[in-house]
Amino acid sequence: MAFNLTRRKFLQTASLAAASVPLSKVVSASTGVTKAPLDTKGTAGDKTVVGGICEMCFWRCQLVGKVRDGRLIKLEGNPKSIDNGTAICARGNAGVQLLYDVDRLKYPMKNVGKRGAPKWKKISWKEALDECGAKLKSTVDEYGPQGICVFPHGASAKYPMHYFERAVGTHNVSEASFFQCRGIRDTAYLATTGKPPGEKIDMANTKVMFFIGDHLGENIHVSHIKQYIQGLQNGAKLIVADPRFSAAAAKANIWVQIKPGTDTAYMLAIMNYLVKNNKYDKAFIEDHTEGFEEFAEAIKEWTLEKAAKVCDIPAEQIKEVAEMLAANAPHVAIHPGRHVSWYGNDFQRQRALACLTGILGAYYVKGGWVPAKGPKVGGVSWAKGEADHTYDLNINHHDGTKYYTNKPPGTPTELIRDCAISGKPYPIKSCVVWGQNPLQTIPGQQKMKDLFKAMDFVMCVDVMPTDVTAWADILLPESSYLERYDFIKKGTQWDLSKEHQQYIAARMPLVEPMFERKDQIYITNEIAKRMGNESKIPVQTIEELVDKSLATANLSIEKLRAEDGIHIQPGKDPYGIPEDFTVVLYNEDLVDDGHPGAPTYKAVPDNPKGFARLLYGRAPVHTFNRSQNNVWLHNAMPDNPVWINNEVAAKLGLIDGDTVGFVNSEGVKSATTTTVKVTAGIRKDCVYMYHGYGSANPALSIGHGAGVDDQSLITKLAVDPETGCNGMRNNFVKLIKDGKVLDIPA
Amino acid sequence: MSIWLDYNDVVAYKAYFIKIQILFLQFYFPYNDQIISRLTHPLDNMSHTEPSEDISRVYRFLSQCMQYPDAEWMNQEFFKVFYNLLGTLEAVEEGVAIKKALDSAKDYIEDLQVEYTRLFINGIPHVIAPPYGSVYMDKALQGAFAGNTLAFYREKGFGMDENADLPDHLIHELEFLSLLVEEKDFAGEEEFLNKLFRPWYEKFHPKVTEGAHHPYYRVVVQLIDFFTKEEDKDGFQPNEA
Repeated sequence: MAFNLTRRKFLQTASLAAASVPLSKVVSASTGVTKAPLDTKGTAGDKTVVGGICEMCFWRCQLVGKVRDGRLIKLEGNPKSIDNGTAICARGNAGVQLLYDVDRLKYPMKNVGKRGAPKWKKISWKEALDECGAKLKSTVDEYGPQGICVFPHGASAKYPMHYFERAVGTHNVSEASFFQCRGIRDTAYLATTGKPPGEKIDMANTKVMFFIGDHLGENIHVSHIKQYIQGLQNGAKLIVADPRFSAAAAKANIWVQIKPGTDTAYMLAIMNYLVKNNKYDKAFIEDHTEGFEEFAEAIKEWTLEKAAKVCDIPAEQIKEVAEMLAANAPHVAIHPGRHVSWYGNDFQRQRALACLTGILGAYYVKGGWVPAKGPKVGGVSWAKGEADHTYDLNINHHDGTKYYTNKPPGTPTELIRDCAISGKPYPIKSCVVWGQNPLQTIPGQQKMKDLFKAMDFVMCVDVMPTDVTAWADILLPESSYLERYDFIKKGTQWDLSKEHQQYIAARMPLVEPMFERKDQIYITNEIAKRMGNESKIPVQTIEELVDKSLATANLSIEKLRAEDGIHIQPGKDPYGIPEDFTVVLYNEDLVDDGHPGAPTYKAVPDNPKGFARLLYGRAPVHTFNRSQNNVWLHNAMPDNPVWINNEVAAKLGLIDGDTVGFVNSEGVKSATTTTVKVTAGIRKDCVYMYHGYGSANPALSIGHGAGVDDQSLITKLAVDPETGCNGMRNNFVKLIKDGKVLDIPA
Repeated sequence: MSIWLDYNDVVAYKAYFIKIQILFLQFYFPYNDQIISRLTHPLDNMSHTEPSEDISRVYRFLSQCMQYPDAEWMNQEFFKVFYNLLGTLEAVEEGVAIKKALDSAKDYIEDLQVEYTRLFINGIPHVIAPPYGSVYMDKALQGAFAGNTLAFYREKGFGMDENADLPDHLIHELEFLSLLVEEKDFAGEEEFLNKLFRPWYEKFHPKVTEGAHHPYYRVVVQLIDFFTKEEDKDGFQPNEA
C-alpha cells in the first residue's frame, strides 16, 4: 500500500489547500501542548526525592530517587538508612524499568471479548467502578458475602483484603505468599515457639551459620546479606546442606551434599546425637522447653548411620556438623528459610529447625535467633466485625473441626477452588484478584481457569497485564510502589551488636503516577460506596491512612519528609530471653490433630528410573518471573542454564553449552530450550535451574524463549498435610537433545 | 503497451485507471459517493490559503486521528473529511477498505476502541505499538529520549499541560509540529522531524502496519508517514510500505 504522490509534490500543489480547510473543522481541542515560558537547557531542575521503599522484593529497602523533569532517572539507597544504607541490589536498581515498562496498565479497561481471550477497551474510572460495584453487590445480594472470593498479594492488597474480609464478610481469601511460600515455616514455628521466625537470625554476631538449602548470595536481600557477610568476615563457620554447590556452599566450611527431600532425617540425627551425647543446652531445656522426654524418645531411632543412609551422606560428616554446632552453641544461627514449600513434608522440616535451635539454646542470644526490638507503629484498616464461621470452608460443619489447623489466615486455595467450581457447599460467583497472579503462583492452572469460568464477575487490579488479567471482566491499573504512599517499614540497625537504633520509614511517591493509575484506597473506597458500605470506610485517602498510622508513633508524612524520609530513634537491647518463651519440642496439639508430636521424617518419592529430580531456585537478579521482561535485569542474566553433574553429562555425551529441552515424568515437555552447565557441583540424581525464565509467549519482547520455565514442568503437586501448602520439588525430568530423549543414568 | 510512458500517456493512463476504479466502486460500493466525488472533482473545495496553514492543519488533523476513538469526534463529519483527504491523495483502496470495515461493524466505535487499546495502550500480555518515542529509542517509557523531546518543546517556547500524556506521545508531537509550522518555524520543524520524530516513527510505523487488524490505523500511520517523511532531492520517497 502506498500513496501515488510524493509529499513534496503534494505540498506544492493546490490539492493540499483543497483538502486542508475542512480538516480544521473536525479537530477538537488541543492535545496538551501549550505556550510556555522559554526554558534554558541544563539540569537545574534535577532533584533528589526521599521516601522511597523498594518493592522489587519483600525486603523493602529504603530508597531515594533522582528525578529530572518529573522523570525518575535513578534509584539509590537512602543515605540515612540504618538498614540497607546506600546499597540496593540489581533488582532495586531496575525498578526504574518497571516504573516505565510500556506494558504496565495505564487506564481502566473492560473486556468486551471472552474471559481468557479478552478484547480490551479503555473506559472511564466511573464506568469501571460502577460496574465493579454493581456486580459485586449483586453477588452479595443473591449469594451472600461468601459468594465473593479474593486472591490478594502485596502491600497494596491489605486494605482491599480487609475490606472484603471484614466489611463485606467473606472468608474466601487466599494469599499465595503463604500457601506457596513461607506459610509452612510460619505455622511450624508458631506450633513450636509461638512466633513466626522471619529471617531473624543474628548472623553478623554468630559463630556458626546453619543453612538448609538457603542460598544467600543468589538470593539477595541487602541488610540480610550484610549480616551474612559480616558474620563470615568475623570468622563464623558456615554449614550448608544443599544438593548443589550453591553460592553459599562455595563459602561453607562444611558442604553437606544431601539427597533432596531428606533434610529432616539429617536434622533428627544431629539432634539425636546431641541428646545422646549430652551436648544439648540443659539449662535452656529445663527453663524454656516442653516435651523434651517425649521428643528424645521419638527421635531416638535416628542414629548417624541411619540418617547417613537415608540422606546419602557420610555419617562422619553429620557428626562433624553436630560437633561444630555443639562446640559453638548457643551462638549458632539456624536459618529458618523462607520459600519452603518443597516436598510435601515441609512442616516437619521446619519444626526440626525450630527444635534444633531450642536444643542448642540459640534463642535470644548473641548470634542466635534474635528478634530485634523495633519501634511500634499502629495500623489503620477496616473495623473487624464479629467472627461468623457459618460459611468458613476450613471448618467441617459435621463435627466443627478444622480441616487445616495450622493454616495461615484466610482459606486454603484448594478449598476455595473446589467450592467455586462445584458450587458446593455454596455458590461462589465473583472473584477479585488484587496484585496476585494465581495462574502462575498457584499450581494447577486448569483448575484456576475453571474457577474463573464459573464466575459471574471477575475483576483484577494490578500494575502489569499478568496472565491472570486475561480472565478479568474489568481490569484496573494500580499505581506502583514508586508512585504511591502506603507501606510503613520499621526496624533496627542491621548489626544487632552496634548502637541500638530504631527506624520508621513510610513509603512516599518518588514521582507522580502516570496515566490514570490509582491507589488501593481510592479503588477500594469507591467500590465500597457502590456496595452500600460507605459508612464503614476508615480513611478517605491513602495519605490519611499513612498519617493516621504514623500518628501512633508521633510522626506524620510531613515530619518524615523533613527527616529525609526516615525517622531514627534510640533502640533497645534485643538480647535476653523473655521468661515465658517456650519451645514446644513435643506438641500434644499436633498429636490431637493426627500429626506427629515430635519432628518426623516422611520419605519423599524416589526418582523414577531414568529421571532426575528437578530443583529450582532464585536468580540473584530476578524476582521470580515478574522481572523476566526487564531489559536491565535480562542483560545481567539472560538465560537459566541447567546444572547437570559432570559424570552424568559424560555418560549422556553432553558438553557445556549444549542445547537441551525437557520432558517430565508425566509427559509434559518444555516449550523452550536452555543450555547445559556441566559441573561437579550438583548431585547425580537431580538437575537445577533458576526460576523465572523461559516464557513461551512470543509477544514477550525480552524474555521470550530465553531459557526454560521450570514451572511448566512442575505438574505433580504434593500437599503438606499439616498446612495444606504445596510441595513443588517432587517432579522428575529427562533431557531432550536434538529431538532425542536422554535417560538419566542411575 | 510500453512501460516507458511520456507524461501525456501517464495522464491518460491515470484517467483510465480512475474510471475503472469508479466503475468498480459503483458496482461494489454504491454508497461510496464521498470517495468517488473526490476523484471526479478533486478541486471543488479549492480555497486560497498559505501552504504553512495547510500543513499545520494536516498535522493537527493527523494528531486528531490518533486520539482515542470516541463518538464525540469520530463521527460522520470526521470520516467525510478523512475520505476527502484520502481522495486528494488518490488513496481510493485505502478509503474503501476503511469504509467496509466500519460499515460491517456492529459498533464501529467500540471496534476501534478495542483496536486502539490493543495497539497503543495495553495488550495481554504486551501492547503492540506504544505511540511513545522513548519506547523505541530507550526501550522504556520516559527515557532520555522523552526528556530530550520535552527539552526541545521548551526551547521553542512550549510546554505540556498537566493532564497531557507523556511529551513523546505521537499526538503531542504532531500537535507540536503543527504549532511550529503555524509560527513558520520551518527550520525547527525539519530539525524536530529529523532528530526527534522520524528516528522512532520509522520503528513504530511497521509495527502498526503488521499488527493492526483494522485498516483505519494502517492507513493513519501511513498518512503520518507520508506527511513527515524525508524526500531525496528529486522529491522521491523511498517506498517502505
